[in-house]
Amino acid sequence: MVDPANTPLGKMLLEEITPVVMVLCTPLVEESCLKNGLSFVQMLSPFCDFTNIDVPVRTASDQPYRLHKFKIRLFYASDIRQPNLEVAKERLKQVITKAGEDDFPEIYSDLPQVNDLLSRHESEILPTWFQFFNKELVRTLSFSDHEAFDHPVACLLVVSSRDEESINRFIDLFNTNKLPSFLSDGAMDPKVLKHYLLVHDNQDGASEKATKILTEMRSTFGPNDCQLLCINSSQDGQTRHKDTPWSTFIKNLMQELSSKHIIPYMEQKIRLLNQQVSSTRKGFRNQFKNLWWRKGKEDALDTTNGPVYTFSSIESQIRVLGDYAFMLRDYELAVSSYRLISTDYKLDKAWKRYAGVQEMIGLTYFMLDQSRKEAEYCMENAFNTYLKLGSAVQQNATRCGLWWIEMLKTRNQIKEAATVYFRICGEDLLHSAVMLEQASFCYLLSKPPMLHKYGFHLVLSGDHYKKCDQIKHAIRTYRNAVSVYRGTTWNLIKDRVHFHIGQWYASLGMYDVAVTHMLEILASSHQSKTSQELFLRDFLHIVQKTGKTFEVLKLQLPVINISSLKVIFEDHRTYASPAAASIKEGVWRSLEEDMIPSLSAKSNWLDVQSKLIPRKYKESNICVAGEANSSNVEPQNDEYKTSTSTGYVWLLSTYMYNAYIYICLYVLMCVYVFTIILSFGRDINSSLVLLEVDFSLEGGETILVQLTVTPRVEGVLTIVGVKWKLSSSVVGLHNFESNSVNKRIAKGRRKPKHSPSADLKFIVIKSLPRLQGFIPSLPEKTYAGDLRHLVLELNNQSKFPVKNLKMKISNPRFLNAGNQSYLNVEFSACLEKKLNVEQSGGHANAKKMLQNVFHFPEDISVQEETSLSWPLWFHAAVPGNISLYITVYYEMENVSSIMKFRTLRMHYNLNFALTFAIYVLPSLDVSFELSPCPSRLEEFLLRMDVVNKTSSECFQIHQLSSVGQQWDVSLLQPVDSILPSQSLFAGQVLSCFFMLKYHRKSSTSEDSNPLFLQSDVRLGPPGNSEALFDVCSSPLADFHDYERLYQGMSCQGNVDFVFITQLWRGNIDSGAPHRPLLFSHHVCHSSLSSFSPISWSVDGPRTIQHNFSASPCGVNLKMTINNSSDAASSVHVKTFDPPSSNSQSIDATASQSGLPLENQAGWFSIPAVNDTKVITTDALAKRITKSVSLESAPQFIWTGSSSTKLKLQPRATAEVPLQICVFAPGIYDLSNYALNWNLAPIEESQGEANKSSGECQGYPYYLTVLQST
Amino acid sequence: MQREDAAQLHQFVLHAALDIVQDLAWTTSAMFLKAIDRFNDLVVSVYVTAGHTRFMLLHDSRNEDGIKSFFQEVHELYIKILLNPLYLPGSRITSSHFDTKVRALARKYL
Repeated sequence: MVDPANTPLGKMLLEEITPVVMVLCTPLVEESCLKNGLSFVQMLSPFCDFTNIDVPVRTASDQPYRLHKFKIRLFYASDIRQPNLEVAKERLKQVITKAGEDDFPEIYSDLPQVNDLLSRHESEILPTWFQFFNKELVRTLSFSDHEAFDHPVACLLVVSSRDEESINRFIDLFNTNKLPSFLSDGAMDPKVLKHYLLVHDNQDGASEKATKILTEMRSTFGPNDCQLLCINSSQDGQTRHKDTPWSTFIKNLMQELSSKHIIPYMEQKIRLLNQQVSSTRKGFRNQFKNLWWRKGKEDALDTTNGPVYTFSSIESQIRVLGDYAFMLRDYELAVSSYRLISTDYKLDKAWKRYAGVQEMIGLTYFMLDQSRKEAEYCMENAFNTYLKLGSAVQQNATRCGLWWIEMLKTRNQIKEAATVYFRICGEDLLHSAVMLEQASFCYLLSKPPMLHKYGFHLVLSGDHYKKCDQIKHAIRTYRNAVSVYRGTTWNLIKDRVHFHIGQWYASLGMYDVAVTHMLEILASSHQSKTSQELFLRDFLHIVQKTGKTFEVLKLQLPVINISSLKVIFEDHRTYASPAAASIKEGVWRSLEEDMIPSLSAKSNWLDVQSKLIPRKYKESNICVAGEANSSNVEPQNDEYKTSTSTGYVWLLSTYMYNAYIYICLYVLMCVYVFTIILSFGRDINSSLVLLEVDFSLEGGETILVQLTVTPRVEGVLTIVGVKWKLSSSVVGLHNFESNSVNKRIAKGRRKPKHSPSADLKFIVIKSLPRLQGFIPSLPEKTYAGDLRHLVLELNNQSKFPVKNLKMKISNPRFLNAGNQSYLNVEFSACLEKKLNVEQSGGHANAKKMLQNVFHFPEDISVQEETSLSWPLWFHAAVPGNISLYITVYYEMENVSSIMKFRTLRMHYNLNFALTFAIYVLPSLDVSFELSPCPSRLEEFLLRMDVVNKTSSECFQIHQLSSVGQQWDVSLLQPVDSILPSQSLFAGQVLSCFFMLKYHRKSSTSEDSNPLFLQSDVRLGPPGNSEALFDVCSSPLADFHDYERLYQGMSCQGNVDFVFITQLWRGNIDSGAPHRPLLFSHHVCHSSLSSFSPISWSVDGPRTIQHNFSASPCGVNLKMTINNSSDAASSVHVKTFDPPSSNSQSIDATASQSGLPLENQAGWFSIPAVNDTKVITTDALAKRITKSVSLESAPQFIWTGSSSTKLKLQPRATAEVPLQICVFAPGIYDLSNYALNWNLAPIEESQGEANKSSGECQGYPYYLTVLQST
Repeated sequence: MQREDAAQLHQFVLHAALDIVQDLAWTTSAMFLKAIDRFNDLVVSVYVTAGHTRFMLLHDSRNEDGIKSFFQEVHELYIKILLNPLYLPGSRITSSHFDTKVRALARKYL
């Protein structure tokens, strides 16, 4: 264990609790001393501390001991009183302020790091002024009347040799009422040891006079108590530091004073007091008496401070005894005295004195280095007692606490010390601040370090400092606290720390540092709206104060979502619109697959490229001079719930290879006010094009900003980062390279290992032609079925022509390239049927359609600075949203570049969300139903149902056409009777019946003339002479083919219809409101699948007159069999001879229908057979069997072969001759035959509805044979 | 601003208590560490789960039993949160269900 005297507390006590010598001196003494620039006390003080005085001391016990260290404290009498609290506080404040200035951290020094602090030694961390401050704080408590150790032990009376009547002066000095109050008010014995000192300045003359006075003094005051001090004042106030011959004088003087006067005096007093105390208080009798006496006193005295003890009271004497013993290091005696008196004070409720004594007990135990528990208990007891007494004794509590803390620190109980520091904090904010800061250091230094507590107490301390206007201290503590909170997720408090540091720096006018701290709290999404507003407002305010523009690398407002960074550039791929650029590369590539040269060709130009371009940049991307590069940066403002700051975004580019890069940027959406400014470069300032766009970003909003760079010359372009300006003075800077976040290069050909820097590096090659393309007057909204004529404009603004144009449209069902001849024709008229025009186009396009690539004629090229228009047909085939991708491929002429071709990619999203939106609304719902006429070959009844599904439009029906040259369509009844107005109003349903007739294609030429075909039916008003539209020519035919393609998947039919209506009102988006909009609805493959693929008809005479008397009548019939399926089929025709007479068979029919069998032969009425009714084969079979069961001779027989087999090619017709022989006149039903058919399987699997084989019974065919006469 | 200050003070107090939790957590096998720290009238009670997730409650009342039950039920809720495979342990719990449940527990026990 360390000697308690060598601990900090021990040293402090040995320094502070020492005998006090009161100095009384005449003004002349002071005057002489002041010549040397010192007061008298200052002059003597350095010699009052004796490290080895080596004086034998004998106190109460008989055993003497030697005292080595000794110190006396000199005070002027005027200073020996309780210091003025205000003055003391002011002095302390100055101490703190000065310390604040000294300790204030360098502006640009780094924030302290916890680990750094921990690795350093305690003495390096702790601010040195703490010790000083604590000492000063303790001193403010000097000379309280209840503590005897501050009472002067001796009095030093000093008179100058120049004083007149020196002896009287000595007497006067002590009798003046300048004496300390406790000498006069009885708290202290006024009879103190007096020592007389004569000061003689050798400059004032020879020392004879002084010697004379000294002799006089000695005779008056006693020979031992008088001394002469000769000093040598400097002539002119100049001090010479070497050669101080009088210093030894003074030293000897003081040593003599201590050892010969003060210590013996104290010894004597101790012995005296001890004797008194022993006689009055020690022993059982005295104690009992004392107790009894105090009990009686209790009622009488009830003052708050307890009784007043004069110096003569036994209590005061005991206290003096204890203090003197303590000062002379007789700690045993001191403890026993203190303990004795402590109970007295407690009984007397003299709490302040009690606490003071307890305090001393604790200290004494500490100095004795025994019963530590007791020592701490006493200190705590004293501290608590002081605290209970309230603010009046706050100073005492503070001092007691500080001593206690030192005690704890000595014993390594640093944590406990910290809590005591915390408890010391009283009403005085400034002192509390210092105490809290010391507490925080205790936590830091405790093992293990308690960093959380450290931070918390630093913050508390900083707040206190702030309240006392000690801004620099506040900043210092908060800066230390930052190290604790940095990196935690406790954002609320982290923000507070930074915010306050920023504010405080700003209040000191150090705006630069303030800004760095304010920057930390900008992205505080966890804060409330008001706090965020406050933060931002203060931040901007501070920034404004700095009066300069800041460039900040980590500006957190707005947050840039770096993963959204997309660099879009055009190499051989060019884009018509940003929307097109945002489409996935894969979509385009699959579209362009068969259009652009193969990949090997690409690697070829890469090879060429490697020759042209330094190897270093081989993996870089290519872009073309004069063309824009866009990078999308997405600032997010989710942090700030409201903010209306202004800012700028700009793109940083550096350039290499002396490339002069020209950067212009633009922003697509303007919300958060960001102004886009330009970039830099030394040489390029003159050629900058500046495009500033402001946008404001509301709180919580995310927008995509698009910036465009247009390099003007060849070289290398590197995109470095983005810069933006917040509120015109803060420049945020985000370096793409530095943070290796996953970057997406939207259009770049990806390599498996892609260095991010390569993504942002571009080789700028020579300017190349670049086609611009757009489609004007593409409707935004239309109804299904809309057919339009559009024009594709291709614009070549370069100096070079381009050739070999090819175009591919992703969805030809909706958009189709037209023939050049359609470019300038008037729409809708050009579709009309022209008599003299031969069928061109039409199916000639079939091949083109299959591969979907439209080759522009070879002679078409887009010359320099011209544009090319090309007709397009648009057909809104189905309702809904449709995306259209159009790629135009072209090759450059006369350009020796590494790029041989380019593509222009256009994208139109038929979606109402985008600018180019086309939303196709449902219009008419057209459906057809076909029913065959059983008796007639290739004739069908067609029912058309049309529903107008629009909400307001009125369509005028115009035309129904069947496609292909095989069908005749005719109205069953005039349109007038069904729809007199010829207009379909919203929601109206129309059903219309038509007769559909198959028009056989015969080999003879006259039949093939389409003009004889009635494939179109005019549905318009009867008087209308409007031409019908030609569905067999482009574009209707083209679109129809696509419709066939799309609709043909599910069913197998072979009749297609085009229903054409017109809409006169142009209230939906329309380029030409005066002309009707044309709507074509295509219904393909109207199904016949529920019928057998084989149909036939029997032709022959219906009525024959024959003279049966001559011979039986032979009748030739012709059966036409048609195979309507796509497969070859074999047909087997079998005839059965009728088992009974025709009449019987009729009877069978009649009996089935419930008619009486009246007439066996002869004329009778035939039940009407409904042509349209399907007679099932089952019914026929029954009838046959019934007929067979009847036994009678047949009246006609089939002649010729009874069984015919034939093969029918797909969609072919064959004729089978049949012959019967009739024996008697009558009406015969020639239905007793059957067709067995068998479809040859074809490769593609057919729908299940199609039978592969079947048997059909013959249709009724009535032959009337009359007897000719 | 006064409410904000209070909120910040509460956070500071809780944060400062972490030191003591750190020490205490290894000295006992009990999960509920009771009131471990105080600042003026504010008391910090802590519950440490087996995985050393710390639930800290700042309160001024002295209802130890209630606080213990509260912590135990919150622990159960927390385990349910942990069972969610999408929840990253240690990240902020955004479930509003958790929030309402905890509030209900607070009303019940505190």
